Amino acid sequence: MSSAINSVRSPLEPSSFSRKSAATLIIIYAFIALVPIAWMVMTSFKSANDAVSYPPKVVFEPSMEGWVNLFTQRSRQSKEYLKSLPPPETWYEELVRSRQMVIAGPSRFLGRFLNSLIIGFGSTFLSVFFGALAGYAFSRFKIPLKEDLLFFILSTRMFPPIAVAVPIFLMYRKLGLSDTHLGMIILYTMVNLSLAVWLLKGFMDEIPLEYEEAAMVDGYTRLQAFFKIVIPQAMTGIAATSIFCMIFAWNEYAFAVLLTFSEAQTAPPFIPTIIGEGGLDWPAIAAGTVMFLVPVMIFTVVLRKHLLRGITFGAVRK
Amino acid sequence: MSFTNFYANKPGMEIKFVGLKNYIKILNKEDIWETMQATAHFMFWTLLLQALIGLGLALLLNKKFKGNEILTTIIVLPMMLSPAVVAVFWTYIYQPQTGIFNYMINFFYDFGEFTMIGDVQLAPWSIVLVDTWMWTPFTMLICLAGLKSIPNYLYEAAEVDRANKFQQFLHITLPSVLPFLLLALLFRGIENFKMFDLVVELTGGGPGSTTEVASINLKREAFEKWRTGYSSAFAVIMFVTIFGLGNIWVKVMNKIKDK
Repeated sequence: MSSAINSVRSPLEPSSFSRKSAATLIIIYAFIALVPIAWMVMTSFKSANDAVSYPPKVVFEPSMEGWVNLFTQRSRQSKEYLKSLPPPETWYEELVRSRQMVIAGPSRFLGRFLNSLIIGFGSTFLSVFFGALAGYAFSRFKIPLKEDLLFFILSTRMFPPIAVAVPIFLMYRKLGLSDTHLGMIILYTMVNLSLAVWLLKGFMDEIPLEYEEAAMVDGYTRLQAFFKIVIPQAMTGIAATSIFCMIFAWNEYAFAVLLTFSEAQTAPPFIPTIIGEGGLDWPAIAAGTVMFLVPVMIFTVVLRKHLLRGITFGAVRK
Repeated sequence: MSFTNFYANKPGMEIKFVGLKNYIKILNKEDIWETMQATAHFMFWTLLLQALIGLGLALLLNKKFKGNEILTTIIVLPMMLSPAVVAVFWTYIYQPQTGIFNYMINFFYDFGEFTMIGDVQLAPWSIVLVDTWMWTPFTMLICLAGLKSIPNYLYEAAEVDRANKFQQFLHITLPSVLPFLLLALLFRGIENFKMFDLVVELTGGGPGSTTEVASINLKREAFEKWRTGYSSAFAVIMFVTIFGLGNIWVKVMNKIKDK
């Protein structure tokens, strides 16, 4: 009798048929969503001719041409000149020679990539630091007009970046901050801070007050209690917030393209300008794209739990 | 600044107070309305598609099956990427003669040659498509959070009352998810209104000015024509529009929530 009851499935559980069909549809969608990304990775390993062949080649001979082009600057030389050179020492020199060119030097891509890293990490650190302090204050103290202040902080995110860019451009020109790492770090910190305050306030709300109170009874000052008790407790939240700030700074384009030109230019405005001989060098652009996107993808897959929590955070709280 | 005739590239020029002239000029210009139309078209279709597909995917994912979590991660991937860089690789995918997009479309139904980005009719749709691809996961995740918050006893009660699956969906699932969906759409609406990086790298506002959304128009005025006073006024108008629409949306949301 009891076994008969157990074998009857609860009407709330989806049937295995609906489960399977849901899984199939999701897999189809995931596959379609992945095609553009996969296509880009494939293109980065194609030769220049394969990249523009029609119909598009799914099976092709892998070539490192795009990657070599991404990191080097080359110049075309005559056959006689190439013959007069000593034989190529490395595999990439050999590849470039086979296209009748010589390597003239490294390209600017690596510098742009480093700029992205410096600005990304710098602004993430600052915004999480200040965000934690402000979030703690909003979470623990009575502040007049608290709700309005919080909303005001959030509303700074509603400005279109281009609209803000005009006054910032003028200010930075006066202050000598335009096209510097410091200027971009300050700017991204400013933009990220609103998100950091909101997220961290939420995470700190979840930490029970008793911990700090106990610590303060034991003779800790509030600042000590904050650093020794609250910060370690909020570590998950801090990690999630950092990832969001980092991804924003990494992906930002509008400010970067308007306010940086050479010194502090990040990778996003640079990648579209990679130009080969006779039109756009698609394999090199693809290689740059892949190199730029892969860190974010790895981040997403490894830290998916924190990320998904952070995204839905605002909604679930309400 | 929005009340002056300031030009950032003419440092010697005397700056004059011009009152509301900039605002009047903007609102009387015909191409501003074209710009707003392009923005509205883009926003309407992206929000509609993202709401429908996002909700659909969330409903499917809510039927817990094996590999659920990893598939969610895969679907979420596009929204983590840089819009500007994504736009660059979509221009490659959209290439008229060699792109994989045209190949795939023609594989299913032979349209002959067409260009997505260069065509006046199709260019707005090429942006809608990329934006939907990127941001549907966002609505999906928030809807999913909404679905998970529905307590099971509601369905149990409905089952006892012999409500069929469709009735359950209509009277339990939809009303509980709706506030979440609207919230997701609010965020997407704000983002899409100021959309810049994706469009500028994909079409650059072209062909002509068919895809010149508000941000791109603003960039042209501010950083190509250097009409700083004029563009500040436009920026203020944009901000007020977002703020106003956002507030109306929040009011509607609260009303629906109360019901």
